[in-house]
Amino acid sequence: MENPNRPQQSGTSAPPKPWERSGSSSGPAPFKPPSSGSTSDIVEASGTARPGEIVTTADANTVANRNALGRPLPSRPWEQQTYNNTTALGGGVGYGSGLNYNSGYGSGTYGSYGAGGSYGGGMYGNSMYRGGMYGGTGSLYGGGMYGGGMYNSSFGGGMGSYGGMGMGMGMGMGMGGPPYGDQDPNNPFAAPSSPPGFWVSFMHVMQGVVTFFGRVAMLIDQNTQAFHMFMSALLQLFDRSGMLYGELARFVFRLLGIRTKPQKVQPPGPNGLPGPHNFPGGPNSLEGPKVAPSGAWDGVWGNEPSN
Amino acid sequence: MPVFKTPFNGYSVKFSPFYEHRLAVGTAQNFGILGNGRLHILDLNPSQPISQFASFDTSDGVYDVAWSESHDSLVLAAVADGSIKLYDLSLPPTSNPIRSLHEHTRETHSIDYNPTRPDSFLSSSWDDTVKLWTIDRPTSVRTFKEHAYCVYSSSWNPRHADVFASASGDCTVRVWDVREPGSTMIIPGHEFEILSVDWNKYDDCILATGSVDKSIKIWDVRNYRVPMSVLNGHGYAVRKVKFSPHRGSLLVSCSYDMSVCMWDYMVEDALVGRYDHHTEFAVGVDMSVLVEGLMASTGWDELVYVWQHGTDPRAQ
Repeated sequence: MENPNRPQQSGTSAPPKPWERSGSSSGPAPFKPPSSGSTSDIVEASGTARPGEIVTTADANTVANRNALGRPLPSRPWEQQTYNNTTALGGGVGYGSGLNYNSGYGSGTYGSYGAGGSYGGGMYGNSMYRGGMYGGTGSLYGGGMYGGGMYNSSFGGGMGSYGGMGMGMGMGMGMGGPPYGDQDPNNPFAAPSSPPGFWVSFMHVMQGVVTFFGRVAMLIDQNTQAFHMFMSALLQLFDRSGMLYGELARFVFRLLGIRTKPQKVQPPGPNGLPGPHNFPGGPNSLEGPKVAPSGAWDGVWGNEPSN
Repeated sequence: MPVFKTPFNGYSVKFSPFYEHRLAVGTAQNFGILGNGRLHILDLNPSQPISQFASFDTSDGVYDVAWSESHDSLVLAAVADGSIKLYDLSLPPTSNPIRSLHEHTRETHSIDYNPTRPDSFLSSSWDDTVKLWTIDRPTSVRTFKEHAYCVYSSSWNPRHADVFASASGDCTVRVWDVREPGSTMIIPGHEFEILSVDWNKYDDCILATGSVDKSIKIWDVRNYRVPMSVLNGHGYAVRKVKFSPHRGSLLVSCSYDMSVCMWDYMVEDALVGRYDHHTEFAVGVDMSVLVEGLMASTGWDELVYVWQHGTDPRAQ
C-alpha cells in the first residue's frame, strides 16, 4: 500500500499507465499524429474553437440533421405534445401527431421489442425517468413485464392508465427542472443551490409510490381471479373424471361378467330417463330423486339393480 | 473485500489514478429521477471497512465522476442539472466546489479526463453535445454537436491526445479529432441506443461499445463495417464497458441485469467471469490502474463493492 500521506503533486501528472510501457500492438492508426502544446492552444490553432457555446435543443437538431445516417431519428419524449392523449399509448396510433414524428419509429426500429403498445409503455417510462438513462429499462419493462401475452388482454385498460401516469410524471419533471437546478450563472463559485423543496419532492415520491402500489394491487387482483378460476376448473375436472372412471370401471366389469354391487344407485328419473348425476347442488337436484341414504330404501321403486 | 453503503443510489465509481486506496463514487437520490446527489471520496483500508475521506452534496444527482490526471486532489462530478463541478479535496468542504461549469442545457451524463494530455476533459450530455473543457478556462473550449440524440458517454483515446469517441442514443458511435471541425468516423454500431464506449488501452484502434440491445461489440476503427467481435451474455441493456488497464483483450461491463461481467474478446469463450453481487441495476464499474485485478462496482442497491478479480465481492 502506498503511503497515503504522500505530498500533494500539484501540476504533475498521474503515475504512468500500464499501457504506456508497451508499444501499440497493431498497425498504423488512422489518426493524425498528436499535436504538442496545451489542448486549448491546439483547438484554437485548428480554428474550431468556440468557447462557451451553448446549444439549445432546436439548434442541436438542425445540426444533427445535416449528418443524416438514413436511420430514423427517435422523436424525443419531451417534444411529443400528445402525451395527454392516453389512447395514443394503447395502439400506437397517436405517434403520428408528435412534433418531431419520424416514420419508422413505431414499427421499424423498435418493432422487435414486441407489441407497439407494450414498447410504448417502456418508452413513456423512459420519458418519466429523464429520457436516456433508462434506455435499458425501455426494453426491460416493455418487453418483460407488459409484453407477455397473458396480461395484454386483461390489461388493455391498464396500459392506458399507465400512459396517463407517465404523462403526469413528465409534467412533474418539467416543473421540477429549472427552478431548483439553476444556479446564478454569474457566480460559479457559489455553493450548490438549495435542493428541491421537501414537500415537492416528497409529493413526487408519494405519487410514484401510490402509482406503484396501484399497479401491484391490480396485478394481485388479476392473479387472484385467475388462480381462483383455475382451481375451480381443476376441481370440476377431478369431479367429472372420477365419475367417468366409475362408469368405465362398471362397464369393464360388466364385460368381464362380474356383477358389481354399486355403492350408489342411480334410479331412473321420473319420466324413465336416467336421472341426473348426483351432483350436489346440480340443476335438477330439487326435483330429481334423492339417493337413498342407506339400503333401506332400495326397493322403493321396484327395480332393484342388485341381486 | 469491503463494502460501502451509500445513502443514495450509486451511479458511478472511479479509482484514483494517484492513490491505489482511493476511489470516488457519485450517487443520486431516488434513483436519479429527482432529488439531490452526493459525491463520496472513499479510502480502502487493509483488513478494515471502507472509510469515507470526504463527501460533497449537490443539488441534483451525480451521474458520473472523474479524477484529474494532473492533480491528485481534483475530482470532477457530472451533475444532472447539466453542470460540471470541480472539487479540490485539499480544501475544506466549505470552499468546495471550486468551480461549477454550467453550459449543458440538459443532464450531463458522463465525464472523461484526458489521460495523455492531462489538461482537458470531455463532458457528454443529453442535450446531444459533447463539450471539451480545459482546466484553466471557465468556459468550454469546443462543443461537438452532431449526434441526433442524447450522448451517453465519451472516451479519450489512450494514446492520441486529440482523439476521442462518443456513444449516443442515435445508435451511432462517432470518433472525433479535436482539431477537425466534424467527426472523423461514424459507426452505426447497434440497432438500439449505445450507452457506453471505451478504447482498448493496448491497441489504439480498437474500441468497445455497450448497448441497449444487450450486446457488447468490439470495433476496429480501420475497418468499422463489421464488428470484430460481438459479446452476448447480458440479459438487459449494457450500461458501461471498460477495458482493463493491464491486459489488452480484457474488458469489464455492467448491466441492467444486475451483473458485472468480465470478458476476453480474443478467446472463444469470451465470458471470463460473472459477478451477481448487486441486487439492483449495476450502473458503475471501474478497474484500478495501479493494482492489477482490483475492481469496484456500484449500483442502485446503494452499495459500493471493491474486490479482487476472481474473488467473491460479497466475501468480507
